[in-house]
Amino acid sequence: MPQGSGEKRHQFERWLIPGLIIAFCLGAYWLTTTFKTMPPILKRGIQPSDFPQLLLLLIIFLTLIMVWKDPIQIKERIQGSTWGTIFLFGIFASLTSIDLFLALGMFAAALAVFWGERRVSVVALIGIGVPLLIFFMFDLVFEIRFPRGLLTNLWYG
Amino acid sequence: MESLINGLISLSDPYLLLLLLCATIGGVIIGALPGLNATTGAALLLPFTLTMEPVPAIAVMTAIYCSATFAGAITAILINTPGTAASATTCLDGYPLAQRGEAGRALGMAVVSSTFGGIFSVICLMLAAPLLARAAYNFSPPEYFALTLFGLSMLASIGDGSALKNLIAGGFGILIAMIGVDNLTTVERFTFGSYELYEGIGFVPVMIGVFGISELLVQSQNLHIKREAIKMKSIELPTRADYKKTWQTILRSSGIGTFIGILPAEGATVASMIGYNEAKRWSKTPEEFGKGAIEGVAGSEAANNAATGGAMVPTLALGIPGSATAAVILAGLMVHGIRPGPTMFTEQADFAYAIFWSMMLVNILFFVIGLKGAKLFARVTLIKGQVLWPSVFVFSIVGAYALDQSMFDVWVALASGVIGFFMRRYGFSVVPLAIGLILGGMLEMRLGQSMIMLDEKWWLMFTRPLTLFFLVLTALALFGPSIWGRLVKRRAPIDSNGE
Repeated sequence: MPQGSGEKRHQFERWLIPGLIIAFCLGAYWLTTTFKTMPPILKRGIQPSDFPQLLLLLIIFLTLIMVWKDPIQIKERIQGSTWGTIFLFGIFASLTSIDLFLALGMFAAALAVFWGERRVSVVALIGIGVPLLIFFMFDLVFEIRFPRGLLTNLWYG
Repeated sequence: MESLINGLISLSDPYLLLLLLCATIGGVIIGALPGLNATTGAALLLPFTLTMEPVPAIAVMTAIYCSATFAGAITAILINTPGTAASATTCLDGYPLAQRGEAGRALGMAVVSSTFGGIFSVICLMLAAPLLARAAYNFSPPEYFALTLFGLSMLASIGDGSALKNLIAGGFGILIAMIGVDNLTTVERFTFGSYELYEGIGFVPVMIGVFGISELLVQSQNLHIKREAIKMKSIELPTRADYKKTWQTILRSSGIGTFIGILPAEGATVASMIGYNEAKRWSKTPEEFGKGAIEGVAGSEAANNAATGGAMVPTLALGIPGSATAAVILAGLMVHGIRPGPTMFTEQADFAYAIFWSMMLVNILFFVIGLKGAKLFARVTLIKGQVLWPSVFVFSIVGAYALDQSMFDVWVALASGVIGFFMRRYGFSVVPLAIGLILGGMLEMRLGQSMIMLDEKWWLMFTRPLTLFFLVLTALALFGPSIWGRLVKRRAPIDSNGE
């Protein structure tokens, strides 16, 4: 990547992150103004909005100081492997509607392959063995009931 | 005294002993794996303890804490990659020793100094925690509020972020704790009408996300790194000459580590840095440091393991976590319905002492396991990321689900992981977020109670000596380093002119 482009991105993120934090805090502050107000006899010391408002103002104050005293510094750009992993998170999330363990198995196998594992036996162990082991350990030992789905129904009946 | 003996007797349970053995081995493996550390290990294994009784559950988590902290030295010495951040200083001399063919000697010293540091700190824990709890027994809400504020102010100096960024991250942690129904007034806050948010965001999924899943994303940046371990014939116990050279360092670092651990939010990483620096400062041969000084390994390892016992002092006696892992253990205590604090030593003293004794036993166990199995654990360090991290993900997701058997917690863990990754990328440590989340509710509750007690005159807090003391400490923790830095800067030109 050309030096100039990296520098531009750095400058952009240096302002973007504090901007996002402050925008988030302002949004949250507005939300706190919608909280119910308790009558004096029931308010138990402070109103429900008092503490969050104080905290949000403090975060905004600290963020403004951060921009001046300790700006955001980027050590390295995010690599394709990280974006790919986050994309796989999305695939995992969408597959959970079919079955949690199907999604876990497919995600684990896909991640192993994506990160460079080429041995079929290892991929199978990660994609099938590990989720199965964890499923039975939690189901039989810890008696945890998982959400019903395509595969878990085979066990739950 | 009776509780002390009852606690020891509880260790005679074969089930508990077996669990501690397994947890110690598991902790050593976790600590030896690059990327995984005591905090991640404790967060991932917390759901496994759900069905256990409180004593075995918390004993397992403390076993992971102690043994993983020690095991970070294995990777530090053999592959020059600290298994845990607390072992970063062990690399400085451990790896050069290994390169010289003295890996066994370095590991032997790491095992001995870690064990000594660990046992020393547990003895201090046994003595200090009940005393601290007794002192805090009569605290009123204003004192507790100021103490919790002091604990949070210590966040400024922890983790790998800067003070400002740590405080911002801690602030967001407290803000997350505000989500749900307000305990004092039963008013809904930030729930958006969602049923899942009524009871707030759980500690466990957030911790699994920020410590486990975010680390997975960090590791995805390091796929190109190839690790090679230095071969080791066998582990060697230190010689008499080594003991003669290091006994003072081990003793000093154990004291430093315990003290640093006791400070709220300061953990093994800071302890090992100070322990190492002090070892160098007091050494007769400081020029050898960084080139393979055995005192360097001893100073770092004794300090980081001593911090484990120290960190449990404020965690158990005051309910304020002494480190990131202690924060996870605190979450574990709350999940099991145990409220740490001064009352623990009057109402659940047997429980507290059972935990102390189990920590003592774990330190002895990892001494034996470390000596006998270091060669085997050295191989664990070479497990590839593409095998380890998909499995960690499966663990994380199932663990996040297991606590409340809720898919919402899975989404919380996943979102926390992604947010945690970006936080770390932009220089915000995730540790303050986790500690803020744990202490946030308590801080607000104590403030509310103080306001009721002081008839809504908050300024009366400054008229209470102990409250004022903690508030002054808070101010010192927040502004002390900056004021000190300015003073040093102002003096610097005078010094240079003088030269």
